[in-house]
Amino acid sequence: MTAVLTADKAPPRPTAWRGRADERVWALAFASPYLLHLVALTAWPVLASLYFSMTEYDLVTPPRFVGFDNFARLFTDRIFWQTLGNTTYFAVLFVPAQTILALLLAVALNQKLRAVALIRAAYFVPVVSSWVVIAYVADAVFNPQFGIANQIFPAQDWLQDSALVIPTLAAVGVWKGVGYMMVLFLAGLQNIPQERYEAARIDGASAWQSFRYVTMPGISGTTFLVLVLTSITTLQAFEQIFVMTNGGPNGASELTVLYLYRQGFQFFQMGYASAIAWVLFVLVLGLTLVQFRLQRRWVHYA
Amino acid sequence: MRFRMLVFGLATVLTVASTAACSGSGQESGPVTIRLGFYAAAGDPADKTMRELIKEFQAANPSIRVELEVAPYMQFFQRVRTQIAGGKAPDVWLSDGVLVQEFAARNALTDLSERIKGVNAADFHGLDLAKDAKGRVFGFPQGAQTPVLFYNKKMFAEAKVEEPTAEWTYDDLAAAAKKLTKDANGDGKPELYGLRAYSPGFTESWWPIIKAFGGDIVSDGNSKVIINSPQSVAALEWMRTAMGEGGFAPDVVNTHSMGSPHAMFATGRVAMSYGIYARSLTAKNAGVDYGVAPLPKGQAGRGNVAIVNSWVISKTAQGAKADAAWKWITYFSGEGPQKRWAKLGEAIPINKRVAAAETPGVFLDALADADDLGTNAVWSEYTEALTKRVNEALSGTTPVADALATGQNEAQQAIDRFIASQPK
Repeated sequence: MTAVLTADKAPPRPTAWRGRADERVWALAFASPYLLHLVALTAWPVLASLYFSMTEYDLVTPPRFVGFDNFARLFTDRIFWQTLGNTTYFAVLFVPAQTILALLLAVALNQKLRAVALIRAAYFVPVVSSWVVIAYVADAVFNPQFGIANQIFPAQDWLQDSALVIPTLAAVGVWKGVGYMMVLFLAGLQNIPQERYEAARIDGASAWQSFRYVTMPGISGTTFLVLVLTSITTLQAFEQIFVMTNGGPNGASELTVLYLYRQGFQFFQMGYASAIAWVLFVLVLGLTLVQFRLQRRWVHYA
Repeated sequence: MRFRMLVFGLATVLTVASTAACSGSGQESGPVTIRLGFYAAAGDPADKTMRELIKEFQAANPSIRVELEVAPYMQFFQRVRTQIAGGKAPDVWLSDGVLVQEFAARNALTDLSERIKGVNAADFHGLDLAKDAKGRVFGFPQGAQTPVLFYNKKMFAEAKVEEPTAEWTYDDLAAAAKKLTKDANGDGKPELYGLRAYSPGFTESWWPIIKAFGGDIVSDGNSKVIINSPQSVAALEWMRTAMGEGGFAPDVVNTHSMGSPHAMFATGRVAMSYGIYARSLTAKNAGVDYGVAPLPKGQAGRGNVAIVNSWVISKTAQGAKADAAWKWITYFSGEGPQKRWAKLGEAIPINKRVAAAETPGVFLDALADADDLGTNAVWSEYTEALTKRVNEALSGTTPVADALATGQNEAQQAIDRFIASQPK
């Protein structure tokens, strides 16, 4: 504010950083809580884990440097590859299901319906509930003895059957997460100028055509965001699996992050766990970069 | 003015940031406080009794204060592992017997060998089972568990089947179990089964059965996995026949879908079940009229195994704290507290005199005959690798021989990796 008022007396400096020394100190002072947090709780652990990934470390005795042994072990670790396979399977089911469902819900709840606020809230409740609560609710649905899913489908042991466990987990995950993505889509939908719909109507567009040629391009930015966020969520899925199946039956739902956790905190192999974390990081980064590259083909920012 | 505010602001930030780091320091002089960890389900009578015993212990030792850290089994060990990593483990805690060597091998426990020389070893059960391959003792027994054959007297009477005896073989078990299996509504699937054969907890399932058939899981000081043998194949094939079409035990999926495998005997869905001592409590609470018999004999005997849950002292507890922790352990092992603990029906008391008075002889005979459960420094890791493959075999997704070959290989890798990582 001050800078604006005094602008005619002293011309503005080229960049903020070159401001008066006093301001620089203030800027640092105000940023310092965040900077401390960043250094102590993010940057330092990240660097430490990079170091640990090249050590044999049981958390109690000092780490012993082993170079790239942990990474070499990863490439021949059948179970690690299996967990990556499980994770991919989970993602392939989860990402499209959650994105499409969230979009459909958002379009539906963007209409002028009765009690629309209540319905929106209902879809958002699972988002803010903890996974432990969700697990109880899911048990009421999928319990092989008394679960209500058995009323619709033949009785199955959903979470103990190695063929069904990932689809079941993905379904529960979509139910928990869809409300959040729906809210993102709602925000996107409300940013589309009404005039475009009016113009489409005047041009004689059907409901489907105005969805296809107005709504979809209008929310392509949001869709991109939802896709990136959802993909990252699946690669990091941990809590749900930990609470609901702990990787069972026989490793059929062991996703990579759960495997990482068990290596580190159950089997005391923090070095190996760190190596898994870095491989996972590279995968997430790679996937996100690919998505950013592809967005040029279909995302429009209006 | 501005400068002062700036200093004030920075000071606040630094204080907030540093309080997190330095909480929990500060050694008191005078009375010593020890942190004691144990696992119990919330509202469990074991929790209540433990609190009473601690109160009495403090009354008898006014210079010692005990701070309790209790959590249910899974959470307790998740937390202890993290606490060990952070150097903040409880001074003394109750460890599942199978985990003692894992913690010891990570240098998290105090070697109790010297202190144990001061007690009369002949007074206690389970001290031999607590020794590691080098003869060191890192845990002092708290309570012992060994599986025996539980049977439902009413179901036996109704089906007019002779109750199990000490002479039973696996053929006798199968014959009786077949007669006890009933398909009441004629849908081709039994509602009542003779035996609960499969359990995710392998102590009450495939581990003793493999041993009874002449196989074994590990040898050479529990460093060599030998599960892949014709005897183990025969044992698992016996189980698969039991759980198969026209068999007398629920199959793996069915076992899961009937709820907790421990509840099946208590709810009268199976007439027989291998169960450790703690299952008496479940059966008693459910009002089952039950009996216990020794495990049936296979070609190689009964295959008895035991787990000795143990008190361990953290490596970080030094001097007065370690002494106070040891005092607690010897107090808990005394006749008075052991008698109180035995009343819970939670474990076989490790005090031999109390055990002789309070525990059915079947359990004591099984304990006397039992091997340890293949414990070593990577127990969790290698048994998990094995369990996955054995479960695949038992659920029929993989041929038994293939599953055992893979399991042996993977389990051995876990052990070898640990051995290779040890300083020479």
